[in-house]
Amino acid sequence: MTSSIDPRRRFVVGTLLGAGALAPWSTLSLATTVNASGNRFALVILRGGMDGLSAVPAPGDPSFEAARGALGRYAAPPLALTDTFAFHPQLVETHAAYRRGELAVVHAVGLPYRERSHFDAQQVLESGGTRPYDLATGWLGRALVDGRAKGLALNTAVPLVLRGPAAVDTWAPSVLPEPSADLVARLERLYANDAALATALQRAKALHLDGAIMPSDADGDAAGMTAMTGSAPPVRPNSFAALARRAGAFLAQPDGPQAAVLELGGWDTHANQANPNGAFVAALRQLDAGLAALRDGLVAADVWQRTVIVVATEFGREVAVNGTLGTDHGTGGAAFVLGGAVRGGRVIADWPGLAKADRFEGRDLRTTTDLRALLKGVLADHLQIARKRLDGEVFPDSAAVRPLALLT
Amino acid sequence: MSNPPLLQAALAAHRFGLGEPTLEPLAADPQGWLLAQIVPAEAARGAGLLSTRDGLRLIAAEREKRDAARNPPPGMMAEQLLAGHYRDATLADARSHLVSAAFGARPLVERLQLFWANHFTVSLTKGSARGLVGAFERDAIRPNLNGSFETLLKAATTHPAMLRYLDNSQSAGPHSLVVARERRRAARIGEPARVTGINENLAREVLELHTLGAASGRAAADGAGYTQADVTAFAAVLTGWRVGQDAADAASPFDAAWHEPGPKLVLGKRYPEGPDALGAVLHDLAVHPATARFVATKLARHFVADTPPPALVERLAAAFLQSSGDLPTVYRALVRSPEAWAAEQRKLKTPAEFVVSSVRLLGLSERLFARGDGLGVGTLGQRLLAAPSPAGWSDRADDWLGPDAVWKRVEWSTRIADRVGRLVDARALAVRSLGPLLDTATHQEIDRAADGPQALALLLMAPEFQRR
Repeated sequence: MTSSIDPRRRFVVGTLLGAGALAPWSTLSLATTVNASGNRFALVILRGGMDGLSAVPAPGDPSFEAARGALGRYAAPPLALTDTFAFHPQLVETHAAYRRGELAVVHAVGLPYRERSHFDAQQVLESGGTRPYDLATGWLGRALVDGRAKGLALNTAVPLVLRGPAAVDTWAPSVLPEPSADLVARLERLYANDAALATALQRAKALHLDGAIMPSDADGDAAGMTAMTGSAPPVRPNSFAALARRAGAFLAQPDGPQAAVLELGGWDTHANQANPNGAFVAALRQLDAGLAALRDGLVAADVWQRTVIVVATEFGREVAVNGTLGTDHGTGGAAFVLGGAVRGGRVIADWPGLAKADRFEGRDLRTTTDLRALLKGVLADHLQIARKRLDGEVFPDSAAVRPLALLT
Repeated sequence: MSNPPLLQAALAAHRFGLGEPTLEPLAADPQGWLLAQIVPAEAARGAGLLSTRDGLRLIAAEREKRDAARNPPPGMMAEQLLAGHYRDATLADARSHLVSAAFGARPLVERLQLFWANHFTVSLTKGSARGLVGAFERDAIRPNLNGSFETLLKAATTHPAMLRYLDNSQSAGPHSLVVARERRRAARIGEPARVTGINENLAREVLELHTLGAASGRAAADGAGYTQADVTAFAAVLTGWRVGQDAADAASPFDAAWHEPGPKLVLGKRYPEGPDALGAVLHDLAVHPATARFVATKLARHFVADTPPPALVERLAAAFLQSSGDLPTVYRALVRSPEAWAAEQRKLKTPAEFVVSSVRLLGLSERLFARGDGLGVGTLGQRLLAAPSPAGWSDRADDWLGPDAVWKRVEWSTRIADRVGRLVDARALAVRSLGPLLDTATHQEIDRAADGPQALALLLMAPEFQRR
């Protein structure tokens, strides 16, 4: 690591497992024989801008301690990943996945968008464009155009990322009674001239009444959850972990959705980020439990080996601590790729360094890997989407962004 | 406006208001009915409502409890020990939010109240805003709906709820007295300083979400909009605007010890050190052409269509600019714009609008709101007073049209219809309330329902009632 950007620097792939040098670029060819239709993909969107340097600190960077001040010190020791990187001590389950070789961290990753607005950045993250509001549909929605592929949002509303030509279901827990099939049939007639309401009703009906892909219901069964996730604390029905578990149950269905999208907020940590009872640690705790719950369900259903999960956020935060022991909006951050199909146990980073001169605008962790490279790698190798479509339709004008090789 | 009068009345009632059980009282002059409402808002309805000062006292009391609970038992978070501290105040706020909209005498004004409270979102999703969110709606928004945008902007920006929600209470000038003092204290005890400088959250959101709009930030590259340097300088202007630890400070939220010394350069203009600079910056932002356009677009989108007619946006922006942001002038321009009266119902009601208009349609009693969470609006995907981000709730149909969202509306309608469907004649009600908006096929479907509750559920879920 040097204190300034070295134009000749090499792509650094740190590994805990000691696997040799790995070519970072995807080498997928059309000769693949894998049938992608049974493969499963989940996207976890962390809304608010996760501080990548708190979740995945770089204590091995010579500037880390000085740059991060109070946020570089943790109540418990960080969980080692490589010589340079570690996980926040809260990410226990996630660290276990890394050690099993099922999880890779991509660091200093970011969007082509370099400003600091949540709302613009989330639009870019989800639309797959290069500028806010250039595109009105989402990259995953466009990727799933194939008639057999289906998306599911674990939310009441369809997030932008899933909007597109493919069918999208949404699901969220309810405390209200189910309406009768007769009423629904009459509503279908009422919506004959209202395409938007008709589509929504038809999709909801398939999930609720037709029973086609209803997973077994055990949301309130906290004891069962605990048994499944080992030492994890009980899961509340509306928690992220419960939603993640539901997502796993949907994905495990043979004719279930190919892709699911989950969202977790609470990452806009402008203040008191290191507080063990504060918002950042609570969000990490939820993320850690949710990823474990998702994995448990998919392992039990024997789908885990065909699953890839991407955890991404709209941007990182400034390297320096702000005036209130938090961090303000920045650009580069961290993303996770996990699943039985992932070649994990690696931190993939073209590490720019944390010294002030190495930062973007003197403030942020510099983005050296385009998040689209990660996403394109997963879509190409896992969902078998042709490079041509990825370069044009799914991520317009992105031919120069080469897919990362992330799978086993 | 060449629509027949009864159609005009139906549009006035549903698009600009919150629905009426009958169109008769406004059929003679629908536009006049709306224009007459453009006067100061009534006081909020409800019992057990805290003033801003009461809210600050409640927060101070929590702080005392928190100090007492400093060492919670293992496995328990301080949050759990303090659970319930804000429950009564929050429930009263949520009820008042709905009851004021449902039973207010001027539905257009209540719609504007919901609009502006969402424009200047403060949300319970952040702990620091608890105890103050309802007071913010009542003390900062409601009294200022019918004045100038500048007054509304200043009231919203300097209200303790906003100062806390967007972290400004903790933002200190890097060269302020407080930071110097804190640095000395920290050095003495060998701990990191707790307050060292600027937190730019409020500055950014005022520019991006409340005034110039994000598009203006994006235009910075062309030299037109605001830049990161503007955000930082504006944040420096905002330092010192905080609410002291003591509730008695509520009347004077500026604390000079936290303020960054020296003049600041925001959008190319120099502002002096001190508390007066904030008013000057907010004045300049309030009358800025980008603000006029941003507010005009949001109003047009809210009332007329997700993609509003450009002519309407132009008209509202011009009214805003020419009147220096006089809101009644802008509202009147909206009501008088022919583009706002297209017969097609292009907007989908938000969950709160759907529930409130159902209550008005059915003449339900205020007692229904006496307990619980506001008739289940939260279940429909819009937890009251708890918008997911400072951008507030979405004002676009796509964001409310997920299959699950629509399904929850069907479930909700079924529940209400089971309760009251035998007491009302949904067939007659559909005609009286929707008038010419009621499609023949919908009318038939309601006529042919199996029973009263089913007829009512169909009416509540009909596109003519879901949209506006």
